Amino acid sequence: MVWYKSWLDTRWRFLIPLGILVVNIWGLILEYPHVAGVLRTVQVQPDALTVSGALGRAILESVAAERTYRGYIWYQWFRNNLSQLGTLFAILLGSGSLLSGSTGTGTMFTLSLPASRTSWLAARAAVGLGESIALAVIPSVAIVVLSPLVGERYAMTDAVVQALCLFVVGAAFFSLAFLLSTMFNDTWRPMLIAGGIAIVVSVCESQFALNGPFRVMSAATYFAAGSLPWIGLLLSATAAAALLYGAARNVARHDF
Amino acid sequence: MAEAPVIETTHLRKAYDGVEALRGLTFAVPAGSICGFLGRNGAGKTTTIKVLLGMARRTGGTARVFGLAADDPHDSVRIRQRTGFVSEDKDLYDVMTVEQIIRFTAGFYPRWRKDLASQYLRTFELPAERHVRELSRGMRTRLALLLAFSRGAELLVLDEPTSGLDPAATEEVLQAVVSHVATEGVTVFLSSHHLPDIDQVADHIVIIDRGRAVVTGGLEDLRDAYRRIQLVFDAEAPQPTLRAPGIVATERRGRVLTVLCRSGLEQVLAELRALDAASVEVMPVTLKEIFLESVNGEN
Repeated sequence: MVWYKSWLDTRWRFLIPLGILVVNIWGLILEYPHVAGVLRTVQVQPDALTVSGALGRAILESVAAERTYRGYIWYQWFRNNLSQLGTLFAILLGSGSLLSGSTGTGTMFTLSLPASRTSWLAARAAVGLGESIALAVIPSVAIVVLSPLVGERYAMTDAVVQALCLFVVGAAFFSLAFLLSTMFNDTWRPMLIAGGIAIVVSVCESQFALNGPFRVMSAATYFAAGSLPWIGLLLSATAAAALLYGAARNVARHDF
Repeated sequence: MAEAPVIETTHLRKAYDGVEALRGLTFAVPAGSICGFLGRNGAGKTTTIKVLLGMARRTGGTARVFGLAADDPHDSVRIRQRTGFVSEDKDLYDVMTVEQIIRFTAGFYPRWRKDLASQYLRTFELPAERHVRELSRGMRTRLALLLAFSRGAELLVLDEPTSGLDPAATEEVLQAVVSHVATEGVTVFLSSHHLPDIDQVADHIVIIDRGRAVVTGGLEDLRDAYRRIQLVFDAEAPQPTLRAPGIVATERRGRVLTVLCRSGLEQVLAELRALDAASVEVMPVTLKEIFLESVNGEN
């Protein structure tokens, strides 16, 4: 029943993003023949590029990557769309604690039931993380299924490995929103603060060419050299675990 | 040997950000009683309930339910397994239908009384398919009572169950509580600032004011103990200095002197008769008078 309640609380925040992501990847794949046609006619010489800095790097990286179908999918889906939307959706899933005090959430009713706060919180975290992993994996696996529609193939291993990298880093953002939800009684502040932090990290990473969470999330090293960003993944998993522990501590001490 | 109290607090304290909501609250609720927990708004009634059900942590003293420590996380779960609760807001899950929330709640209680749930669903005329958010306040209260009654609980904690209800709905709720107690033999801890509700159903009273219990005991015992003595004089009533220990309050108005006492009636009467009044009348007091005098006396 604790799990069922967690599912009820988050189901629309899971199903709607899942629909958005599946439609998104569908469109991206169907668009590929057109993009490939355009890219065949484009030649970009790094020396001739008048735009420098982060934008210049992005243009070069994009054109270089998208010359192959694998590169196109990685760049458009794993590096851009799924990284950005995945982060947003992870924050959305992590926000609005089970124990938040807004009307209609039945906080007092929940707390009167014979289940510990820890079990409510653990179920909510597990369901949210389960939904996060589904949001990363299901649309990515759809790539493998849909690619033959445009006469291409995408390796299942690549799809799953890249989706899991995205999930692990996404879990840190989920956990951040989760922790913030145990500090504020509404849904909006945790969402806005976690979203703000994600934007700042993303901008810093892009401006200063840092090897930050979004680079780990896109599994750039796996795409380029087949090696996983183990340190980044480990740090993200540790951060997620620490944030969840903090949330559990907050809820255990909280007076309702 | 007397049965152990179901609820027992000793010098219970609770502070929120340095503001004390409970300041050494001590009371006990006997098993099988309907205990009226009375107090003005902000007296600390809801805070007490939250501490008893593990929703808020005490800052001092002790709080035990069924002999279990209310602030121990494991004991708290065991307390809630044996307790039905109706919150003041009747804040249930708006997204569920009546039928869904009944099934959901049943899942937590091995001793769930399916027969009672069906019975109250019919008696309270609750629409099983309707969403909780679509229910009127009265219906929400009835649903909350159904969910509390059907848990197979030994203790019912009802926090202002009649707040916001019209007189007919209030009567229906109180009757439901009384008949449930009569058939199931549970203990009820009924918090309210609505005196007629308590007067109608309670057999035990705890009056709380500013976080302290100012009166506790059986309602009949209290009614027997408290007496109002009215003295009428031929001229202006004197301003006496009364020394009898049972005197709670005195009021002088024109030729009339009124004295409220809580014990030692004979001693009080002896002292009052010495004032040579034209008439001396001893009258019983209502719960309302006991409440107002206790609360005003404290202030």
